[in-house]
Parts: sequence; structure tokens; C-alpha cells
Amino acid sequence: MTAPDESTRLPAAAGDELKACCAAAYSSDVVALLLGDSYHPGGTALTRRLTGHLALTDASRVLDVASGRGTTALLLADAFGVCVDGVDYSPANAALAQGAAAAVGLAERVTFTTGDAEHLPFPDGVFDAVVCECALCTFPDKVQAAAEFARVLRPGGRVGIADVTAASDRLPPELTGLGARIACIADARSPAEYAEILAAAGLLTIHTERHDAAMTRMIDQIEARLNLLRMTAAARLDDAGVDLAAAPAVLAASRAAVADGTLGYTLLIAEKSP
Amino acid sequence: MTTDETAPATDQGAPTPAAPVKRARDEVFIEFTKSICPICKTPVDAQVNIREGKVYLRKRCTEHGPFEALVYGDAEEYLSSARFNKPGTIPLVFQTEVKDGCPSDCGLCPEHKQHACLGIIEVNTGCNLDCPICFADSGHQADGYSITHAQCASMLDVFVASEGEPEVVMFSGGEPTIHQHILDFIDLAQARPIKNVTLNTNGIRLASDKRFVAELGERNQVPGKSVNIYLQFDGFDERTHREIRGRDLRKLKQKALDNCAEAGLTVTLVAAVERGLNEHELGPIITFGIDHPAVRSVAFQPVTHSGRHVAFDPLNRLTNPDVIKLITEQRPAWFQKGDFFPVPCCFPTCRSVTYLIVNGEPGNRTVLPIPRLLQVEDYLDYVTNRVMPDAGIREALEKLWSASAFMGTETTQEKLRATAQALDCADACGIDLPSAVKDLGDKAFMIVVQDFQDPYTLNVKQLMKCCVEEITPDGRLIPFCAYNSVGYREQIRAQMSGVPVAGVVPNALPLANRLTDTAYGSKTVRSAQTAAEYEQGPR
Repeated sequence: MTAPDESTRLPAAAGDELKACCAAAYSSDVVALLLGDSYHPGGTALTRRLTGHLALTDASRVLDVASGRGTTALLLADAFGVCVDGVDYSPANAALAQGAAAAVGLAERVTFTTGDAEHLPFPDGVFDAVVCECALCTFPDKVQAAAEFARVLRPGGRVGIADVTAASDRLPPELTGLGARIACIADARSPAEYAEILAAAGLLTIHTERHDAAMTRMIDQIEARLNLLRMTAAARLDDAGVDLAAAPAVLAASRAAVADGTLGYTLLIAEKSP
Repeated sequence: MTTDETAPATDQGAPTPAAPVKRARDEVFIEFTKSICPICKTPVDAQVNIREGKVYLRKRCTEHGPFEALVYGDAEEYLSSARFNKPGTIPLVFQTEVKDGCPSDCGLCPEHKQHACLGIIEVNTGCNLDCPICFADSGHQADGYSITHAQCASMLDVFVASEGEPEVVMFSGGEPTIHQHILDFIDLAQARPIKNVTLNTNGIRLASDKRFVAELGERNQVPGKSVNIYLQFDGFDERTHREIRGRDLRKLKQKALDNCAEAGLTVTLVAAVERGLNEHELGPIITFGIDHPAVRSVAFQPVTHSGRHVAFDPLNRLTNPDVIKLITEQRPAWFQKGDFFPVPCCFPTCRSVTYLIVNGEPGNRTVLPIPRLLQVEDYLDYVTNRVMPDAGIREALEKLWSASAFMGTETTQEKLRATAQALDCADACGIDLPSAVKDLGDKAFMIVVQDFQDPYTLNVKQLMKCCVEEITPDGRLIPFCAYNSVGYREQIRAQMSGVPVAGVVPNALPLANRLTDTAYGSKTVRSAQTAAEYEQGPR
């Protein structure tokens, strides 16, 4: 295993370059392309499970990093009675989510902002909990993002992460190439590596649990949507750079990787030292 | 105690009394409910238990003893589907009062939890077949009944009074196409604010009377209205036809379907599925349906053990998960576990549905179950998910996963379009999926799996939320499974025909030595009990 500070902390210039490149890559990421950029495996059931570990009270203030269309933030506010700030890189998502909050009468407790996970637009220590679902794997500078989570958390606050996990040294070649950039796998880490990244930011992992079936479900969903696009818009899919011929091999390799534990989906709960 | 054979001897050889050991039950008790005695139909207490991953309902009648039946073949899904239970809608009016409690006050009584998604009008008891399997106990019978214009009109009015603008009424029987006024009845329905008519038929007249099919086709063109065909279709083996229908109807079914296609009618193939008869034909029925231009959906119904049917084992009957498993096994390239989703408008264990998007040529199909494209469970979870960003998607899915959804209706078509729009990836890839899929409606195919309750399996918990109602000539809306199980069918037939009707008892193997034939081929209890006793209807 490589030390996190070598593998994830990049020189500033290279980081910016990668971020720009990643933003472009993410915009043509097969997952975002097929499932929408607010998709996360396990759906609301897993969100509830994650939230159950965050020791929330109805006085809690929670930050949802990469809040997408607001599904998780609204669920947290409605079911757990907390105040939620959602932050998303996409202004369109933040606007849609704010509209949704207003539509269900939760605008007073839920606010959405546009922002970068590596430079969160919030002061230090204001949140009781941070959630980040299926997004850390896409952040180019994971160490910086973790440091930001820690910074905005109050002492003793918890971060709940749900993410794709991969034993990167065991991934088959189909899942490491740029052309096979499915499911953020290319830059996903193992649960232990995520825990190290969090620890480096002062966040001690207190609980992890695997939900690999959610990953299988996501692969099924990707395949189904690829088939749908093949039916409806094969030519335009081609234009978008999706190699339909390569898809079956990549999907099969993904399923095999989930089956042997190389690839999975994991919940991690970490706590900032009091 | 010295003679107790189970007492272990000690090493010393001296017998010691065995300490009594408490044993664990071999089942998990999950529900206390009510059912009926399948013989006398008296309401009795019942319990639901899980054994070896399956769900059983057990009850005891003080007079007729204990009864037990399998009700759901997958205990895990039985429990997990509880979340997909939509709060009911209160109908505009109730037709009866609460007096003796469920299931004796049908209906609908004010304790009923759901409005009628689907109303059924049985126009006659006569039929041009005498099938060995017929929950309505119909056939070539001289002592049945047919409803009149006035009766049909008032039954439709009852439905409209209860629903306002009913989504769909089904004409059934007997065989409704042999009623001389069936086209008039459809006109009566279309003259009211009822959007869709479904005609439930064996297809014999559709095969032989093209003018009749053309008349149906014309009524299907009335703006804002549709007429769709619910065609009895059990399989392709000659044995299937002979054992279930008493005749080889294969050529007639094909002709009926071709005539429907020519007249622009949309058809649902409806298969009664029985263990040991046609359970191997589910995959072929789906393939055939997908390939035939008139067919847009298939409904699989485990044979309802009410009325007339072949002998069966209540502990080894087919339930929804069993049917879904058979479908998956017979078409593994198309289906996997999770592709069917429970219908939330009725009790979620009553009905499961999937929609497919189908592409390609016969023999080289791509089949895409819609539940694989989006997380249906996130939208139809009524217990935990109260708010969500896309209320429109929930509404569309609710209309699709409903007992009132029929292919060929405008509502179902419209909601399929809305669902396609939910598969939003336009932001990311620049592909305007909604416009790309706008004609996917033509490629959509629906599969329904519905296990109706019978006198063995009846659980009032499910019955109280039933959304499929029989509209009776005396102006009631009686939940379909109550109508067939509790004695209402016999009561209405006796009232309408003036001929006493014996109380029907399931032809279940454990009851074999207690049963005798009724006049219509079903079974009744062999005893001193007289038909007159049953004429009084449900107790």
C-alpha cells in the first residue's frame, strides 16, 4: 500500500491540472452519464443506515457534501428533524435542490450552496455531522477534502461516508484504464486507505460496514441504462465517447471484482477528537 | 417414570427421570388476523407464521377443525414489502354499514381501506366453455342469469358514484361476449365518466366474429376512451388446454389475437397457472406476447381455488414469488430477482408488476425491466420516505404500479412517458433522453403477477385494502377475493337466478373425503347441510 501523503497529495499545479481534467472526465464519466450525477448506490435505505450512525439530535446541523438534487438533505431534514446545508459543485443542482426544498416546505431548514469540497464555503467547527455519499472517490485531492470535513466539524462531530471501495492493486486491467472509467473505480480506495486519509485529518474511524450488494445493483443499473441508450440513441452515445462494444467486458469484470471482494461499497463513520 | 423410554440411563445403569426440556417452535409467529373456515365460511381467528423461509396462514374452525395454506413463497420479501404500502384513498361513498365486521359487511363498508382501482361487472353466468378450472363456476348452464340494460346501467352508476371518474371497468362473466347486449354495455360505460373498458374473454367470439371485433375496435377509437381485451391464455401444450379449458383452443386463440391486431385492439394475455399443469409455460407465454403485435401485457394468476378447479395441495400452491421465480428461471437472460415490484395500492403481497422495454427482432430481443433503470423502492416507500425531490416520478410510478394500470389506456401510456423522463441524463451527456424515449411507449410491455385469495388463504388484513371490486346488481362493491371466497358469489347467483346455490368449498386434498360435487362442477361439503342454509349468504 502506498502512503496516502504520496499518492494523494499532489503539487499544487498538478492538482489544478488534474482537477480540471477530472471535471472534464467526470462530465463524461459513464456513471454520471448514465445514472445522473446525484446517483448513489443503496438509495435512501443506505442513506438512513449511514445517518443512524451519526448521533444526530433535532438540534444538529449537518453538511451534505456533493448534495446533488437534494434527496439526502431533504431526507435528513424530514426524517431526523435536523438543519442541513447541501453543497454541490454544480450550480444547476444546487438551484434544483433549493426548489425541491421549497416545494416540500423544508426551505427554512435546508439550504443549498454551490461550492468545492476541497474548499468548503463554511467557517470552522459549525457542523455536528458531515455526510458525503459516493463522492469522495471522485475528488482528486482526497486528503484536502478530508481536512475540510474535519475543519468544518465541531470537536466530537462525526463524518459519515458511503463510497466505492477498491483494492486498487488487485483491480483487473479492464477497470483501471481511462476508457473504462466506470463507477469512479479508477480512483477508489480500500476502506483501510480511506480510514488512513481520514485519520491524517484527525478523523478517527469508529465503524465500517460493507454493502457490496449496492454495488452489484449499480452495475445492473448501468447495464440497463446502457441498453436503453443503445436502443434510443446509439449514434449519440458513440459521439459522447462511450465505447458500447467494450461495455460487456467492463461490466463482467466489475461484477467479478465485486464477487471476489476487490470492489465494493462501504460505509465509514469517523469522529473528530473531542 | 421407570418405564419412560426416553429417559437416558446413567453410566451406573440406574434410570434417572428425564428433566423436561422446553422445545423451540419450528416457526416464527408474525401476524394475528382473521380468516374464514373454508367449509362453512364462518369468520375465524387466524395466524400467519414463517417456516423455512415461507409464509403460512393457519386457522381453526370450532366445527370443522384446523386448516393451513401457503400464502407467500418468500418470507423475506413478505416482510420487506410492508414499506410499499400506499395510504388508501377514501371512496366518495360507501355502500354498506359496519355491522358484523370484516369480511361479513361487504361492501364497501366504511372500514374498507381503499377505493376501487378496478370495478368488475359480471354480465352473465353462462359460458361457451365448461372449463375444469373456473373460479366463477360458469358454463353451459340453464339456471344461471344475465344482467339487463337497466341493471348494467345502475351498476355502472354505483361505480361512478363511488369513484367519480373511474379509471377502468372490466366486463366479465361467465363469458361476456356471448351476452347479446355486451356492446350496448360498453356504450353505457363509455357514456359515463369511465375512461377505459376491459373485456375479459376466452376469445372464442373474437376468433369467429370479425364484425364483433370491428365493433370493439371502433369503440377503442372513441376520443379519451379505450376498450382493451383481457384474453384467457394459459399456454401452448395441448395438455394445458385440455386440463384447464377442456378443449384444445390453440388455433382459436391465435385467430382471436390476429383479429384483435387487425382491429387495433390491445390485448393482455391472462394465464391461470397451476402446479403440475402449465407452470413450465410462463417464459414461452411472455415471449409469444412480446412477439405478437396485439399483445402488450401478460397477467399470470395462480389458479384461484374458489369455484371449480382441480384438486390441489394448500401447502404447496403457487404464490407470487413462486411465479416470479419460475419466470426468472425460464427467461434468465431477461429477468433476475428484483425485477418485479409489489403494487402499493392494494396490499403489497397481493400483486407484483414489472414493465419491460423491448427492442430488437423476434429471436434477438433486448428486454429491459424498468425497475433496473431506477430505484423504484426509493419512490414507493411510504413508511420511511415522506419527502423527495421528484414527486412527479412517484406519482407516475404509483399509476403504473396500480391495479388500474392496463396497457392500451392513456393513463398508463402517459405515466410510462413520465417515467422515461425521470431517467434523466441530459445534463451529463447531452443526450435528450426524454425525447429519445418518447416513442418507447410502443416498446413497453407489462407483466402482472396476482395471487387472488381463496377460502383457504383469505386474510382480512389484505382483504380490507383490496382495490379490485365486483360490482353487484344489488348495488354493492364487493372485494373480488371476498366475492369468490366468503359466499357472496353464491348469494348473488341465488338472488339473481332464483335457484338455490350450494356453498362452494375448495377442492383441497386434505378435504377430499368431506366433499361432493355441486350442480356446476365445483365442490361442496358432504353433509346434512342444505343448500338453503347457504342461500343466506355470508354469516
